[in-house]
Amino acid sequence: MDEQVKSILAKVRSEPPNILKALLALQERLGHLPTEAVSDIAHALGVTTAQVVGVLSYYPDLRLTAPGRHLIRVCMGESCYANGCGRLLRELQDRLRVDVGETAAGGKFTLDTMSCAGNCAVSPTVMIDRDLYGRLLPSQLDILLERYE
Amino acid sequence: MSTATRLYLSNDTSARAAGAGALADAWSEHPEVQLIRISSRGAFFLEPMVERDTPAGRVAWFNVTAQDLPLILSGTDGTPVRSIPFLAQQTRFTFANFGETEPLALDEYQTRGGLSGLEAALRITPDAIIEELRVSQLRGRGGAAFPVWNKWKVAQQTQADEKYVVANADEGDAGTYCDRMILEGDPFRLLEGMLICARAIGAGRGYVYCRQEYPAAAKTLRAAIQKTDEAEWLELDGEPFPIEVVEGAGSYVCGEETALLESLEGKRGVVRARPPYPAQSGLYGRPTIVSNVLTFATIPNILSRGGAWHAALGTEQSRGTIALQLGGRVKHPGLVEVPFGLSLHQVLEQFGGGMAPGSRFKAVQVGGPLGSLFPASQMDIPICYDAFAKAGAVLGHGGIVVYDHETDMVDLARHFMAFTADESCGKCTPCRIGSVRGREILERIQAGSGTIEDLSLLHDLGDTMKVASLCALGGRAPYPVLTAIEHFPAEFRAKLRT
Repeated sequence: MDEQVKSILAKVRSEPPNILKALLALQERLGHLPTEAVSDIAHALGVTTAQVVGVLSYYPDLRLTAPGRHLIRVCMGESCYANGCGRLLRELQDRLRVDVGETAAGGKFTLDTMSCAGNCAVSPTVMIDRDLYGRLLPSQLDILLERYE
Repeated sequence: MSTATRLYLSNDTSARAAGAGALADAWSEHPEVQLIRISSRGAFFLEPMVERDTPAGRVAWFNVTAQDLPLILSGTDGTPVRSIPFLAQQTRFTFANFGETEPLALDEYQTRGGLSGLEAALRITPDAIIEELRVSQLRGRGGAAFPVWNKWKVAQQTQADEKYVVANADEGDAGTYCDRMILEGDPFRLLEGMLICARAIGAGRGYVYCRQEYPAAAKTLRAAIQKTDEAEWLELDGEPFPIEVVEGAGSYVCGEETALLESLEGKRGVVRARPPYPAQSGLYGRPTIVSNVLTFATIPNILSRGGAWHAALGTEQSRGTIALQLGGRVKHPGLVEVPFGLSLHQVLEQFGGGMAPGSRFKAVQVGGPLGSLFPASQMDIPICYDAFAKAGAVLGHGGIVVYDHETDMVDLARHFMAFTADESCGKCTPCRIGSVRGREILERIQAGSGTIEDLSLLHDLGDTMKVASLCALGGRAPYPVLTAIEHFPAEFRAKLRT
């Protein structure tokens, strides 16, 4: 087993084993969850590979492939919907030349959506990595994207 | 020698998204400014809002930019906070500290009455705590509105080697953000409420299941837990009461209490059939109280002021205050805490300030993505559980989203069904299959190839989902779609194939 994977899993060992916690800890460190690690994870936690894959395939935030250097998430919540998140998403798709879930050429940005960022009073919202931007107009996107390396 | 002026600026995520973060960056090194990062008052339309002390209380400047600093330092053109109508007309109990305190200042929390609820709870028996909650008539604030005391009684009376208290901080209903505000702005209040619950039911461990979309909330809460631990009040009867923050992974249905418990156990967040209810058999099969963050945060005041105080607020079936969260095309989006009973119209006019510039009202949705739509003709409905139940609607978690004249109701209905299809846990057929078929029908209508039969098909499908789904996701998903068709039939008919 990969030494790094082993050491991360050792830190989240619990009784009974917590698959989600282990996967989130791995993703936090590795950026994504490599499919080849599934059997190692199952072995380390003492569960079946089916249980690991079951959890892995269930949660939207668990990623099988590495995202771009920055993850852009457009909030699709109702307040953002009312305030034009559809336009923001289309603009971002056009600018980055990607569809939702894809990574732009050069690997700088991955574009995704989220169902609500809890920023409804300052909508529409775009979340880049862990930072939120509110009251965004499509015309402000260029300046915003330029801030990211 | 000049001394720096204390300026108060919110550190709430939405305040930062509105520009408070940039202000803090611009002013953090300024020699004339001593920046105090407080919680937000929830008047988000005014954020970033900067305040300073005066002999007559705090004075505020609204929608501040970095260039406004000379104005603020000279004390020119500020507005007394107590004369801001949006705030002055509210009845703040659970949100009384917001805008006043630093979220992690335990001494400030105590100075303003914090911990007195827990102290009161420690002086009486667990039975007496539950009796106080029965008198208060508090109902769960997460959406199900179940009497809190009843749940606690069941958990208390169920014998087990371990019991748990779980705060549901998976605030997934779009249009709601009051739990996030509590987690980021007054985290000790949540912890105090959880401790009171633990004492009442005899729990030995607590968890806060926090959605992954709220990184600042989880961070603040972990810091708050550490502070309370150091101050040695994270304990009961001399035993430590550990509270752990566990983060989710983007699944909406994990806000449903049984799916949440599955996720907390590290499994797929799939809904469990009930009974048994979590109060009897919850986390790892042990009696567990799962309550919303806002519910726990309401409890300290009930213990310190008495259940009768709480019961005196609100209406017959809806006692206390409700935290409404205004969003969408309203002029003044923000948090409104008022006693139950105001009409929807009053809330939108008095607090919402009417429509955003350039917008005309079309519909308002109450209760998140599973909430019903109301047209202009139904705005007199009082905001309380019974009136909403009678109308076949729900208050949910108190989210209110206003849609304007530009909203395409067919696309909005499709948006709702697509949401359910994305988020269904897949356990029960009506929700798993029904939401996908519903989305397909609405996509067909939107594309101009739907027929009149499709509309009746949606009704049939909706009826099936309502009665046969395992949890509120499938059971409530048809409501926004069917109310859109009911109130705006012409828009749907106009898109049908002739």
